[in-house]
Amino acid sequence: MSKKTSRRNVGQAMGEMFRTVLQTPITEKYPFGDKVVTERFRGKLDIDPVKCTGCSICEIVCPAQVITMVPVGKKMIGTREVEIKRPSFELYTCIMCGQCVDDCKFGALTLTRNFELAVFKKESTIMRKALIIGK
Amino acid sequence: MNPLQVVELLLFPGLTFFVWLAFAFEWLDRKTYARMQGRRGPVVTGPFGLLQPVADFFKLASKEEIVPTQSDKFVLRWGPALYFAAPAIGIAFIPILGTQAILYHPLDLLFMLFILAFSTLMAAMLGYASAGRYSTIAIGRLVVQYTSYEVPLILAMITPAVLAGSLSIQGVVVAQGSMWYIVIAPVAFAVFIIAALAELEKPPFDIPSAKTEIVGGWMTEFSGNTLAYVKLTKSLSYVFLSALAVSLFLGGSGGPAISANQNLQSVFYASYFLVKLFAVGFLFFVIKTALARVRIDQATKLFWTIITPLSLAQLAVAILWVFR
Amino acid sequence: MSEDTKPDQRRESSAGLMQYSVESAMPFGPVHPSLKEPEYFKLILEGEKIVQVIPRIGYVHRGIERAAQERTWVKNTYLFERICGICSFAHSLGYTHAVEALTGFEVPKRGRYIRLIVAELERLHSHLLWLGLVGHWAGFDTLFMWVWKDREHILDLEEAITGNRVNKSYSVIGGVRMELPDGIATKIQTELKYIEKRADYYTKLVETEETFTVRTKGVGRITQETARRLCPVGPLLRCTGIARDVRAEDPYAAYDEVPPHVQTSNDGDIASLLTLRLDEIRDSCRMVSEAVEKLPTGPYKVSIPRAVPQGESTFHVEAPRGELFYFVKSGGGSAPERVKVRSSTVANILTATEMLKGHTLADVPIVLTGMDPCFGCMDRISVLDVDKSKEWSIGGEELRIYGIEYYKRKLS
Repeated sequence: MSKKTSRRNVGQAMGEMFRTVLQTPITEKYPFGDKVVTERFRGKLDIDPVKCTGCSICEIVCPAQVITMVPVGKKMIGTREVEIKRPSFELYTCIMCGQCVDDCKFGALTLTRNFELAVFKKESTIMRKALIIGK
Repeated sequence: MNPLQVVELLLFPGLTFFVWLAFAFEWLDRKTYARMQGRRGPVVTGPFGLLQPVADFFKLASKEEIVPTQSDKFVLRWGPALYFAAPAIGIAFIPILGTQAILYHPLDLLFMLFILAFSTLMAAMLGYASAGRYSTIAIGRLVVQYTSYEVPLILAMITPAVLAGSLSIQGVVVAQGSMWYIVIAPVAFAVFIIAALAELEKPPFDIPSAKTEIVGGWMTEFSGNTLAYVKLTKSLSYVFLSALAVSLFLGGSGGPAISANQNLQSVFYASYFLVKLFAVGFLFFVIKTALARVRIDQATKLFWTIITPLSLAQLAVAILWVFR
Repeated sequence: MSEDTKPDQRRESSAGLMQYSVESAMPFGPVHPSLKEPEYFKLILEGEKIVQVIPRIGYVHRGIERAAQERTWVKNTYLFERICGICSFAHSLGYTHAVEALTGFEVPKRGRYIRLIVAELERLHSHLLWLGLVGHWAGFDTLFMWVWKDREHILDLEEAITGNRVNKSYSVIGGVRMELPDGIATKIQTELKYIEKRADYYTKLVETEETFTVRTKGVGRITQETARRLCPVGPLLRCTGIARDVRAEDPYAAYDEVPPHVQTSNDGDIASLLTLRLDEIRDSCRMVSEAVEKLPTGPYKVSIPRAVPQGESTFHVEAPRGELFYFVKSGGGSAPERVKVRSSTVANILTATEMLKGHTLADVPIVLTGMDPCFGCMDRISVLDVDKSKEWSIGGEELRIYGIEYYKRKLS
């Protein structure tokens, strides 16, 4: 059926429209179906408590002030009594920049690929798992 | 009116049937629109997202209704009901189960014209009653667009009446028989489609409810129940205009008579009608997806300089054909 | 209007405003569906025709320049890339280059090439985003969805290289943050070929589709002399035929070895902006492909001590929207003393308001989108005198008095 206008070039998109129907749609069927992010995707922060030594570098370099060093005990170095600290993370402030991951000399921190970060209570994102192993 | 007519009017093929058809049209609209753009459209509610329009309707109906303080509350309360009633009653005159419609009048084609005019009048009244800055601009555009498309639409609808020699829709359907009027008067069909796009406020003529410029057009201030029914009425107008196109140009529910049994034959007639209805609807959807929105002055110029003369010419040709 | 009560000096200097009937001033924004970010435009209408547009900015002012004074040099990298979502890497480049100029260290070649690749990929994504938006505001949603579908290919590439689609955090003081992933070269070449093919299709589509060209041809036209007077930057300047591009005139990153072909188009309206940006898309594809082939081996960053010596430095980059300008002042401490950002949209906004004169309300979204506004970038300025055009200049005090008189008249 021809368009009854004197302009010849209306409906240029028609051919492409029908071609697009035959291709796979670009939208993913999230949350059903696979969740695909690339390897380097910066998702939720994770810490390996075994590797952490409490050096506090992550607290100093974090741009968003996510990390607080919490004292968890004391130990003796020589004759001095030194406080042992471990980090606690307020992950609702984290911007997932990865600066702490880059600067941690012991490789304790990683950014996982988890992007489903919605919670009902802000406080439930506070990560304290590094505080348990205190020695 | 016998009780059977009342039941037919309310259930099948009357109001309830057409509300479900409106939902189905909306689903098909969103699905083709999305697929042609490389997206998926509704997928979650119901199989293939078929229940999405129903879910949207109930969601809107369950929301709080916020009415601006300066609006005309009487019109906003009763206007949507009248706006809904216009296409709903019009549909009863269109023959689906064969050549008989539920309601009949020898001049019901004129009543269809009145219904179309009445719809726009109610839309303008509702927009005016909403007392918002965007609504006021929108009804200005709506009325301007209305004056442009009304004449070609009427001429395009009169052409089949002239060809059939009858001013009732049933008469037009019967007179077509196997020679559909789209073959004899294709220009009138094209003009009808274009003017119908303007009536329904779909691209390229969706200026009165241009979402990106004036928020929601004349529907800006509606929410809750009112918005649910107004949107349903827009879908219903979609079905109504498609049904008109089918009856006037595509032979209505006519088709080969397969069975001798009257009731079984009605089923076949209804399915012919539905197939043609969805074909016309699909045509609307494809045109809507392919074109951008034109400005109001460009639309007016298009209608007055090109479409109206074409429809006049077509009417002249049709008259000559009848009196040949 | 009681013009006799106004002193002559104000009437002359504010001739532009007083001439027109201000009863039909229509606010556009700050919250409007056609604006991605809030800005307030006062449109002064006669009927549906616009005779003047007065912008009022500052809705996205976040105090970033002040916040930068309290953060260390490294932390500021993350702050400045979040000024804008679309030209994020350009801001990052501007800041890191300005600080590197202060330290005196030079970024190794491979780092510079990688910066070019990511910057041009960002230009691709920004131009595709803009193209989709023009389609959307013109009512052509199909074009919008198709273009953004293609843009996903670029964003996936960026995510594979840098780890994020928007705030890439990839440029550090001294180079780039990490090495390119394996096998990225072939992936980039494949996607670029696809994008070039699509750019050819879109060029054909936007130039021939009649319902779209009536919205864009002749709309928002500016002449070269207006451009010279109002000084826009970026594609808005190049669409009038003036060929100015920071990458060609003052090369940074690897642009001296992979130079851009500066594109211009001649009409100064939205249609020529469309052809210009599509040409720039093709040029960016060519540059990325060339840079990937010529990529030198070597280190990708140089280690710089975290204390930046005293001094001032300025740097400009070509963000997708135009010239982006950074000024960094260091007092020798761990935090910068002052960082000043002049982004491209603030230079373009007056030109955009000039483009709108004589058009109707229906053209406002398209023209405002045509200048590719990034109000998040723009509201950096702490003190701004909007009225710099020579035709009408009102100082703050006159505007205040005018406002008082206007409302007094309205209520009487």
